[in-house]
Amino acid sequence: MDDRRRRFEAQALPHLDAAYNLARWLSRSPADADDIVQDAMLRAFRAFDGFRGGDIKAWLLTIVRNCWLTAGKAAKRRGHTPLEDQELVAEGDPEGAAIQQGTRRRLDALVAQLPEEFREVLILREMEDMSYREIAEITGTPIGTVMSRLARARALLRETARDCL
Amino acid sequence: MNCEQSLNTQSYLDGELQGADAIAAEKHLESCADCQAQAAATADLSDALRKVPHYSAPDTLRHKLKKQLDREARPSPAKSFWVGAASGGGLSALAAGLALFLLLPPSAATLSQALVDAHIAALTGGKTIMVASSNHHTVKPWLAAHAGISPPVTDFADQGFVLTGGRTDKVAGTRAAVAVYAHGNHEVELFAWPDRGAHLPEPGMARGFRMAFWKAGDLNYAAVSDVDTAAFQKFVGLAKAQRE
Repeated sequence: MDDRRRRFEAQALPHLDAAYNLARWLSRSPADADDIVQDAMLRAFRAFDGFRGGDIKAWLLTIVRNCWLTAGKAAKRRGHTPLEDQELVAEGDPEGAAIQQGTRRRLDALVAQLPEEFREVLILREMEDMSYREIAEITGTPIGTVMSRLARARALLRETARDCL
Repeated sequence: MNCEQSLNTQSYLDGELQGADAIAAEKHLESCADCQAQAAATADLSDALRKVPHYSAPDTLRHKLKKQLDREARPSPAKSFWVGAASGGGLSALAAGLALFLLLPPSAATLSQALVDAHIAALTGGKTIMVASSNHHTVKPWLAAHAGISPPVTDFADQGFVLTGGRTDKVAGTRAAVAVYAHGNHEVELFAWPDRGAHLPEPGMARGFRMAFWKAGDLNYAAVSDVDTAAFQKFVGLAKAQRE
């Protein structure tokens, strides 16, 4: 294994779960998330020579989001839409998932129903703990827009999630 | 959410404001019922969302990826970072990529540095306490509403550490709840923030302050103070033993 591969595995692979989590929430499909993350990690590896410092997690999530957009456009051209009523069950954390699984599943479903532009800022902020600036960079939107989308996402979710919080 | 300051309050609650801006937002929050309601609702929502399990990459994906990387020949040097950042997303993504000049993710060393920085900034700025109370029934819910996490808060007055209040702070980009204790003329601070699987530093000293780190439940904890070793060990023992 060459040095470049080793550096990539050491720096990028620790964020594979974050990449998958984002892809999974954006695409709402395990199969699509798989394809998106594979595509994104390969692109990241090919471009890794040019990566000099900076926040690698934000960089990877930017690529994941771009790959998701590309996959979405391709799917639209093929006339394919993801399954909306697919059961949302997390693969990880089996012990925790057993506790309050009903509540979590409802919350999962409510988040999944948010419009894309709201869902992505909410996931990046609340699950990946990204700062406003990082979210602005990942989504290619101004910080002001990030702030208003985040407020809107939270308000929408509070309205629909009242009974399960 | 009718207050025209609501976005600013949100920024404050998300730990995006510093210094005078944070103090101004905190002042506003104290007197605005709309924003207080927003703060409580946001904290509940954050709490619930953080408990939703993250999806983790399946092993099959890891295997496929490894195989794919094995097959990858070394690409031409013309491929650059910017090409990768822009992949699939065109010009807007390139603009996003160009703006990437962030700090490295926090290592154990930067974490202890960030912690001592936060402690010193609070001491020198005179803002160690945002809610002054020796009653843990006041401090705990305040922290829950403002920091989005709810660590146990206990008054150790009988053991020589008097609870004087709490505040929110930011440690390496993550919002933290801080309980503040007085030990004679010294201050001892107990930081708590959500566990993100980060590697915690070994106990030690930086810039004259003792530090200890540990994990409990789904939170990371750190104690920081300039008290002597024996008192510091005693405090850490008490803090580790407390229950919700």
